[in-house]
Amino acid sequence: MIGVSGSLRRAAAAVLAFGLAAFASREAHASPEDIFGYGPRASAMAGTSTATSDDYEATYGNPALLSRIRRARLVLGLAGATFNLHATGEGLPGRISVLPAVGSVIGVDLPLPFGGILEKRLALGFAFYTPSDVIIRGRILYPETPQYPLLPDRAQSLAIRAGFGLDIGYGIRIGAGFGALAEIVGTVLVATDATGRVGSRVEDQLIAAYAPVIGASFEHPVLGGMLRGGLVFRGALDARFSIDIDATKLSTINIPVFNIAGLAQYDPLQVGAEVAWEGSRWHLAAGLTYKHWSAYPGLIEPTIRCPADSPDCGSLQPVKLDLHDTIVPRVGVEHVVPLSRTASASIRGGYFFEMTPTPDHLPQSQKWDVPSATLVPVPTRFFDASRHVLTAGFGVKVTKPLLLTVDTYAQLHVLHPRTLTLDAGASDGGTSTADLSGFVAATGIVLGVGF
Amino acid sequence: MRRALSSACSVGLALAVALFARRASANPMDAFGFGSRGPAMGNAVSADVVDVSAGYYNPAGLARAPGIELSVGYFRTSHFLSMNGKDNEVDPVGGLVGGIVLPGKILGIPVAFGVAVHLPDDRISRVRALRQEQPRWELYDNRNQRLFLAANLAISPWPWLQLGGGISFMSSTAGRLDITGSANIFNATQSQLRHEVDAYLTAVRYPQVGARVELSKRAALALVYRGEFRLELDLHARLQGDLSQLTTAYYALAAYSINAFLPQQVVFGGSFLPHDRVRVNADLTWVNWGAYIPPVATLTAALDIPPPQGGWPPGITPPSQPTPTAIVLPRFSDRLVPHVGVEVKALDLPHWEVDVRGGWEWARTPIGSQTGITNYIDRDRHTFSLGAGIRLIAPGKFLPGDLRLDFHTSFSWLPTSVTTKADPTDVVGDYSAGGTLWSGGVNLAVGFR
Repeated sequence: MIGVSGSLRRAAAAVLAFGLAAFASREAHASPEDIFGYGPRASAMAGTSTATSDDYEATYGNPALLSRIRRARLVLGLAGATFNLHATGEGLPGRISVLPAVGSVIGVDLPLPFGGILEKRLALGFAFYTPSDVIIRGRILYPETPQYPLLPDRAQSLAIRAGFGLDIGYGIRIGAGFGALAEIVGTVLVATDATGRVGSRVEDQLIAAYAPVIGASFEHPVLGGMLRGGLVFRGALDARFSIDIDATKLSTINIPVFNIAGLAQYDPLQVGAEVAWEGSRWHLAAGLTYKHWSAYPGLIEPTIRCPADSPDCGSLQPVKLDLHDTIVPRVGVEHVVPLSRTASASIRGGYFFEMTPTPDHLPQSQKWDVPSATLVPVPTRFFDASRHVLTAGFGVKVTKPLLLTVDTYAQLHVLHPRTLTLDAGASDGGTSTADLSGFVAATGIVLGVGF
Repeated sequence: MRRALSSACSVGLALAVALFARRASANPMDAFGFGSRGPAMGNAVSADVVDVSAGYYNPAGLARAPGIELSVGYFRTSHFLSMNGKDNEVDPVGGLVGGIVLPGKILGIPVAFGVAVHLPDDRISRVRALRQEQPRWELYDNRNQRLFLAANLAISPWPWLQLGGGISFMSSTAGRLDITGSANIFNATQSQLRHEVDAYLTAVRYPQVGARVELSKRAALALVYRGEFRLELDLHARLQGDLSQLTTAYYALAAYSINAFLPQQVVFGGSFLPHDRVRVNADLTWVNWGAYIPPVATLTAALDIPPPQGGWPPGITPPSQPTPTAIVLPRFSDRLVPHVGVEVKALDLPHWEVDVRGGWEWARTPIGSQTGITNYIDRDRHTFSLGAGIRLIAPGKFLPGDLRLDFHTSFSWLPTSVTTKADPTDVVGDYSAGGTLWSGGVNLAVGFR
């Protein structure tokens, strides 16, 4: 590919240089809220929010519940997570190095003060999470590199969500919103100009990708409290990057068009159902979230794309994992302790089980071996494991002389020990095993001020 | 107590800005304004803005908002810029604009939070890298093809003083690309290549801060600072493998560039009411174009492709080390940009108000004469604007506030002039360039009182 003629040589430099410039502008996001939940209350209550939210957290949990907002409020906070992920076995390093995730949280509660029939019925919510340094990490490594592609990198992403909720009466609320990401498409065209010099044109575009969030809830007084059922649908957030590097017009020599493409981040389509009971002191919630992982399109695309009329052209094809759908059960509890007539404290806890969508048996990938000039098998080390997640949190709310809230949460994700079978994982090219374990610790604190 | 609290809040606001901000700003709003009222008045509203557009013009204005406001609008600018009489087909800029203003009081002190966003039609942002010799309208071709997103806080510690500040968001890039395998130069689609990437988009948050002082009920002054921001691109690449099994190939490259740069600015503005129905505004913007860095990459490369056994086949030239790009720094100069705007209340009824607006601004080109190998084209820009606003007060029981519809149009003229090259053998040669820009927009706002 690197040139075998003068012009091709220059092409190689230009292709790589401008290809880099192109791909590096890529910006594809995903939602850390899918891993940790959004907001301190939901995160402390095992991500239960589809029937319990009453503020900006509902933009993710269930937009219908934004209609419970009664007072304007702005919240600012910090959140972070560390990852201690292990993979042991033949050719595996033990601990896998990943960066911690640290970021800031901004949330806005905005009740719309309409009059008449719309009075106290409509509200908006906005939720942002911005990682402090690396706002997006798009990392797709060679398959033989041990990695957890569905966990730490997905936490390194900006999250933008907004929605509205409407109380239509009779205990029924509806709402809708969206999550926003961005994906990159672009081209790099390298050609020889009129003077014989290699010229290029690089054009990348970030294109917004949206996923809808639609929710509804129904509530009815039961046992001195309020029993509420919530249902939410979240569309898939699919953020690709795709850069074509085209130097075919550089000379008569046949240079392939490089397809630098893949899936930087992905959140599957989800449906959540939850039931909550809210008394004066105790709030209980339990729910299930279905995640449609089987639609996962694959992590990376082939570097050389086959023509449409020759789908099996012989170029190297990356392995595609067949993921399966999962269901996440959650339970959360909150106990409210009055501190005075204008202040209260809340103690929260919960548990959820995040099932892994990845198979137990990982098929082999292939790479070109230069010394032997042949394709050789390599193991596919895309690791993931189910997680038991314990959550806890604490909050204080003061209503006078001003509305002030402080909420904290902590989560401990313990990877359920798992043994994977890896084709071509042994040094002799045979099958090997990988034992996975580890934990993830997450925490955050958020301060809110009412207007 | 109140004064102490005010001071504390002001310090807190400044600290918040300092903590969250790194570098500072500019965007398509610099060229075309935000919303419809500001562009209709020549963008001379820094001392006279209370709506969503304060998120761009002067965050301090948010503290004067009379109530919650939601705003959405659309604007578009079409470029008719030509070189040697031929239209250069510079892409239009258009998209949604909008935001929220959330005012309130904390311990009796007016505060406000605002979000302002411009979401372009076709893209969030675009990177377009061209060779420095290639002619391009440097300030219009790509600079304005990007998202603007800003969040601001404001406070009014005394009735005559408003302070505001906030951050806008962008990102820089660092990354690594690796391609390995075998390239089949006889049948490209049978190449056995694969790639891996590891790229980081790092946060760039740039601040804007502003102050407004009310001298009397008929006069106010404003001072706004918008900082510089630059988006860096820091990349490393490696390509390793063989060429149809003839020989091995290794190529490593490091590239660094500033792929977007927008200068810091200071705006000094005033707003006067010479008559109950007439408002006159004037702004003067200092733009630090002198710090401009061109979007041309610095490359470092290492290349190793040994000849195959028996030498290269006939007709094939072995590759050699690429020569680095010699970047010619363009001569940009700081500029003062005057803006003038007038607003006349044409109709003032109990439930209706109609305002008519006009404005002018003059932006001298900051780019020096392009007599060398670079071709960063620009010309002075005179902009004339018109607009109107209709305000419907308390339109119904369901809306205890107002409904406002604003629209504007503007025309910019870039006089045609000739660029003469010092070298008569210059590949591009002498050229004439100039043109016009047409902008228009409409904005709908709902205000709650």
